[in-house]
Amino acid sequence: MAVQMSPLTEKPAHIGDQLVYDFDLFADPGILTAPHDRMLEIVAETPPVFWTPRNGGFWVMRGHAALFDAARDTETFSNDFVTPELAEKVFAALPPDIGHIPSAVPINMDPPMHRVYRMPIQGVFSPKHINTLKDSIRDLAAQLIDEIVGQGECEFMHAVAEPLPVIVFLRMLGLPVERLAEYRELVRAHLADAGGGDPVASIVKAQHIVESMTPTILERKDNPQDDILSMLWGIEIDGQPVTLQDIQNYGLLLFIAGLDTVMNGIGHGVRFLAAHQDVQAELRANPEKISDATEELLRRFTFTVPVRRCTRDVEFYGAHIKANERVMMLLPAADLDPQEFKNPEKFDMAREERVHIAFNAGPHRCLGSHLARVELNILYEELLKRLPAFSIPEDKPPVFHGGHVLGVDTLHLKWSVN
Amino acid sequence: MKLCIDKADCVGNARCAAVAPELFPLDDDGYIAVSEIDVPPGSEELARRGAKACPERIIVIEE
Repeated sequence: MAVQMSPLTEKPAHIGDQLVYDFDLFADPGILTAPHDRMLEIVAETPPVFWTPRNGGFWVMRGHAALFDAARDTETFSNDFVTPELAEKVFAALPPDIGHIPSAVPINMDPPMHRVYRMPIQGVFSPKHINTLKDSIRDLAAQLIDEIVGQGECEFMHAVAEPLPVIVFLRMLGLPVERLAEYRELVRAHLADAGGGDPVASIVKAQHIVESMTPTILERKDNPQDDILSMLWGIEIDGQPVTLQDIQNYGLLLFIAGLDTVMNGIGHGVRFLAAHQDVQAELRANPEKISDATEELLRRFTFTVPVRRCTRDVEFYGAHIKANERVMMLLPAADLDPQEFKNPEKFDMAREERVHIAFNAGPHRCLGSHLARVELNILYEELLKRLPAFSIPEDKPPVFHGGHVLGVDTLHLKWSVN
Repeated sequence: MKLCIDKADCVGNARCAAVAPELFPLDDDGYIAVSEIDVPPGSEELARRGAKACPERIIVIEE
């Protein structure tokens, strides 16, 4: 599935030629066929921080040490990444009746405001609370897998990898699971916005997402249940009672953050297992090793690329970055950095250096990391338990997409049926 | 063996507790609850692994 390469942006004068490398996060041909092989290439061919003329011109940070430092330096590397120029352009293009523009709070904020908005939702994503969901997540995974066992083949993203986190998300928030098809369509439309091209279209899509949740949000105000939307009505932000717009913003963030991330984590992991019968065999024989495998899969196939805006002129790991220049945090490459991991291309569940940056670092450490780990571990456990050895049909190789989440479009699997 | 933890820099990864929940107590939000841990004899290896597991590198071992 070819994607158009973005136009080239002229290199600013202060950037040395030796730091320039042509890499389009959305359309790079390597990304679309084998994203992590492409990441290994990039690690071999570039300095820890380089500049690409694609996607509007971006710094790309791919060194592990650089990214670790950048993630913790929120003053220099801000999440408020809509530059004044970009904001002006977007507002100029908006129709006058666009209405309220929802905002994925608090991913787009810096400390100290970031912490104010993150705190009220930390409890529900804590290890303690997420552990209470394990049984229901296991039942769900079992149900989804049992539905396909007799078929001998499937397109795994559609059959299991996508519905699992979508249903978990709907339940956690308190949205009606009967509207699953509608939510899956919203997810699909959200993901189709690959190049992030048209800001107005993105805003309209965000409004659709919020519109789909608003009736339930309002209902929960008067009839609270045991779910996140009900819980949110009871919180205070900076001493002020929460507003409908606050809850809509949280809803948007949780929608964006929780869906295509986990499903693609599952996709990358299952793709690897399908291509490595020896690893499947070892894990079936030793299921207690699955949690180690999950961590090593997260390292080997890290797949998110957050963005930052540099707030000041800074010398950073060999690059002179100017204020308001934007940075892609190429986490997938950081977890393949030989400066950090010996033989990084090797999948080794018992490796000594096992701390990865798949959930990033610093204050923006993925809030959903505990839920993600639970979903991944349970999915791998149930898949290995319920399916016999599975593999990828030769005529239907996996298809990937690029962007801020390196994702799996389709993953065909086959296995024998008794 | 004692562990010193820069509590203010904890971002709630909970990887320490994933290694040894009894050694690394977390609060209800999943953040480290203490800034010092006296490691009981026999638990030194677990303590070392738990300290190493912290992605923020805020757990320091004092032998």
